Amino acid sequence: MNRIEQHQQQLQQTQLRRTFLGDATRGLGSIALGSLLFPELSRGQEPKRSVGGIAGLPHFVPKAKRVVCLFQSGGLSHVDLFDDKPMLHEHAGKELPPSIKGTQRLTGMTSGQSTYPVVPPLKTGKKCGVNGTWISDLLPGIQGIADDICLVKSLYTEAINHDPAITFMNTGNQQPGYASMGAWASYGLGTENENLPAFIAMVSQGTGKNPGQPIFSRLWGSGFLPSSHQGVGLRPGANPVLYLSNPPGVESSQRREMLDDLSQLNSLRAAELGDPETLARIHSYEMAYRMQTSVPELTDISKESAATLDAYGAEVLKPGSYAANCLLARRLLERDVRFVQLFHRGWDQHIALGRQLPNQCRDIDQPTAALIGDLKQSGMLEDTLVVFATEFGRTVFSQGKMGDPGMGRDHHGRSFTVWLAGGGIRGGMEYGATDDFCYNIADKPVHLRDLHATILHCLGIDHSRFTYKFRGLNTRLTGVEEAHVVKDILV
Amino acid sequence: MHLTATFAEPISSSATPFLTVQLNFGNGRNQIPELIEVQVISGTDDGTDLPSDVLEILAISKSERTAEQSASLWRYCAQHASELARDRIELVNLQDRLDVLTKPFSTMVMDVAAKPRETFILQRGDYSRPTDKVQPGTLAVLPPFPADASPDRLGLARWLTTKDHPLTSRVAVNRLWKMLFGAGIVNSMADFGSQGEWPSHPELLDWLAVDFVESGWDTKAVIKKIVLSKTYRQSSVTPPELLERDPNNRLLARGPRFRLPAELIRDSALKISGLLVPRVGGPSVNPYMPGDLWREVSHYGSSPATSQTFVQDHGEKLYRRSLYTYWKRTAPPPNMMAFDAPNREVCTVARGNTTTPLQALVTLNDTQFVEASRAFAQRILLRSEKSDEDRLSWAFQESNARTPSPQEGQILLKALSRERSRYATHRDLAKAYVGVGESSVDATLVVVELAAWSQVAATLLNLSETVTRN
Repeated sequence: MNRIEQHQQQLQQTQLRRTFLGDATRGLGSIALGSLLFPELSRGQEPKRSVGGIAGLPHFVPKAKRVVCLFQSGGLSHVDLFDDKPMLHEHAGKELPPSIKGTQRLTGMTSGQSTYPVVPPLKTGKKCGVNGTWISDLLPGIQGIADDICLVKSLYTEAINHDPAITFMNTGNQQPGYASMGAWASYGLGTENENLPAFIAMVSQGTGKNPGQPIFSRLWGSGFLPSSHQGVGLRPGANPVLYLSNPPGVESSQRREMLDDLSQLNSLRAAELGDPETLARIHSYEMAYRMQTSVPELTDISKESAATLDAYGAEVLKPGSYAANCLLARRLLERDVRFVQLFHRGWDQHIALGRQLPNQCRDIDQPTAALIGDLKQSGMLEDTLVVFATEFGRTVFSQGKMGDPGMGRDHHGRSFTVWLAGGGIRGGMEYGATDDFCYNIADKPVHLRDLHATILHCLGIDHSRFTYKFRGLNTRLTGVEEAHVVKDILV
Repeated sequence: MHLTATFAEPISSSATPFLTVQLNFGNGRNQIPELIEVQVISGTDDGTDLPSDVLEILAISKSERTAEQSASLWRYCAQHASELARDRIELVNLQDRLDVLTKPFSTMVMDVAAKPRETFILQRGDYSRPTDKVQPGTLAVLPPFPADASPDRLGLARWLTTKDHPLTSRVAVNRLWKMLFGAGIVNSMADFGSQGEWPSHPELLDWLAVDFVESGWDTKAVIKKIVLSKTYRQSSVTPPELLERDPNNRLLARGPRFRLPAELIRDSALKISGLLVPRVGGPSVNPYMPGDLWREVSHYGSSPATSQTFVQDHGEKLYRRSLYTYWKRTAPPPNMMAFDAPNREVCTVARGNTTTPLQALVTLNDTQFVEASRAFAQRILLRSEKSDEDRLSWAFQESNARTPSPQEGQILLKALSRERSRYATHRDLAKAYVGVGESSVDATLVVVELAAWSQVAATLLNLSETVTRN
């Protein structure tokens, strides 16, 4: 490519990146506001169109139009919940064989231990669904949806501590500064509902370990992508989106009149100056006004049936709980929000596994199953990808003294389990396997960049062609190393 | 020991089913209570909050109190009376200020270890697998490292600022150019290499760069030179023909126009409102922030000292330039993040410049901006201009550096009379609006007038032109 072509391409990209405003300046601002405000009215009448997004995407017909990521922050124990092995019981309390343990680095929390005894799963479990997938009795709800989900039991990461590991899982890089999964989705595909942000994040605090490991806004940040793609936090209480409510002493009708004045004044000036950016700003104020209506309507769950609320469990009525966030996730997905991500803190069971883990499981089990059931019932599971993920697993050996109630498990990135469901995913299957001690991968390793490639694939995106120029590199969510779509788990 | 805390206003248990109680112990010392019990009692607290010794003095008739007793009453009053809250905050802030000016403080300076750490190439980045040892050095294509310079940061600084270094001065003036024009002469700010964008005006860049070095790296002089130039002083009016020929104004046939960066949007609202405290230096401050954002992401929510729980400042600290706003990188100020401020976890050379609905929500509803609109209205009403027209003309000039056109004036005057009649019939709303924020409201002003003008002021602060560099 010669320099002029390159320059033109850059120019074109700059213009494309202007998501919201780019379109507004070219007349899309005049698109019937009614259909944006009430997407359900136009549902089924005409194909919905995306606003924003980049040209040429999706690369192929997507199986999933939206994603919900249920992120279990802190490191969920695959050993206790999804990956039981006979050997763990035979070898219970005995030293993990050196041939298995190998020379991989351990965290400073257990590297000084004199013994590494094998600890079997905390509770019994059962083989569930047609495939006979073992799932712990701590997760009866998820046992019930075994036929809908696909367990990837051979995931691995290089990181062994929370900050790099959770950053890696959410942004494709252990270093800060990269764009999160949801930001990539928003950047690439835009939104089908301009009244809500394309990417919404919700945080809940677990009852197992409270407070859990710290998390960071970078996990739903836009990194090097334009900040309009950053995840917007949806929060419990009167102001679900920050600054959403009018200030005291300003009524909605009054605000409407003020915005009309603003719009008139801005339009006059824009015409005089010939400034397209001003038109974009007018559009953004209108969208803000519509968000003031659409968000309270979104968070108002008073019209949900008693049966639905029951399905999610009693906690659903507690704002900010994982259960409440699961219900909100369904409502967001119904409104075509592109990427919804929940972060549930407290999965870092270094100590008191026996006390903490059942509480963590109780927080998430019923609501997670209810969300899947709800999506399935409405048919939305077909084109919604559900990703149940964590930053790493936990060691098969004990942290602390075996048998002590204070005993826990350390971080383990060498193999762990996540599961997927919905749009494009084959339910009722397990993929990959760990060794007899749930320690190393025995079959079909899946790096987390392969998981990212697979998520993008479900959205109709070829990860290798989905790039953004940053620091002289065509940067990808999947990074510079080779990544593979896990084709065997796809429909 | 026990402590009873009563809510200033009743709390409805149906509207707020959950309450968080945070107890901070120790006050810097190692004291941890053995047993804590929190009891929630409902009802009306009709007891007094005065301590027994104050009650005892109050029981004595005024004329019979000793001088010492009167003094201790006044002391208690000074420390607790709500009427004096503002003065107490001011006193604390002034003491803080005095300390900054008179007391020694520590600051980060460079130090070199006696035995500098050795650095190795790591195999696949794994710190446990070092390979070749590396030495400090610079790129071969660039001028050689000065022979007499030490291979440390001082040496690097000397090398960077050698007269014939081809990059430093060009990169520096290019950034100043971007600050003033919205785009650099080289538009890929962080990349002057072979993959970077070609300069739009290479000779100009060279000339500015040489001039910068020859002026003794005088930043103010470069800025002055640029802003006094004919190019900078051009009108930013964009005829369709020019927009067609050069949509991004790379050839500078018109003046620059771009949205202000995050900090300047807040700063300019504070300046226009008259609230800005333009003082230089001192510790960072915590102005208004909604929600409980720090605790949501933090680990062991503990004391203000570890920034795990947000504690808002008061008084002048609410109105300092945004440069002084404390930055918690895991949860940065949301009103800055909405306007493309980077989270500061990594270096950012060029910020984005987006237009989003969240930005509109900030300038319409953030306490900081709502209060600014009221303070601006207060400024307008305390001027010598008396007619609505004259006041509006002054306000428009103050916020946009020009007088309103007749049509603009008409729209705003109509809005003023509309708001006047609205607030005249809903005085409670007027009172609520002017009560936003902690700065004092001039008691001589009529609340309805102030609230009505505040709406006009808010409209002015939200004009596209106000947040745009034209």
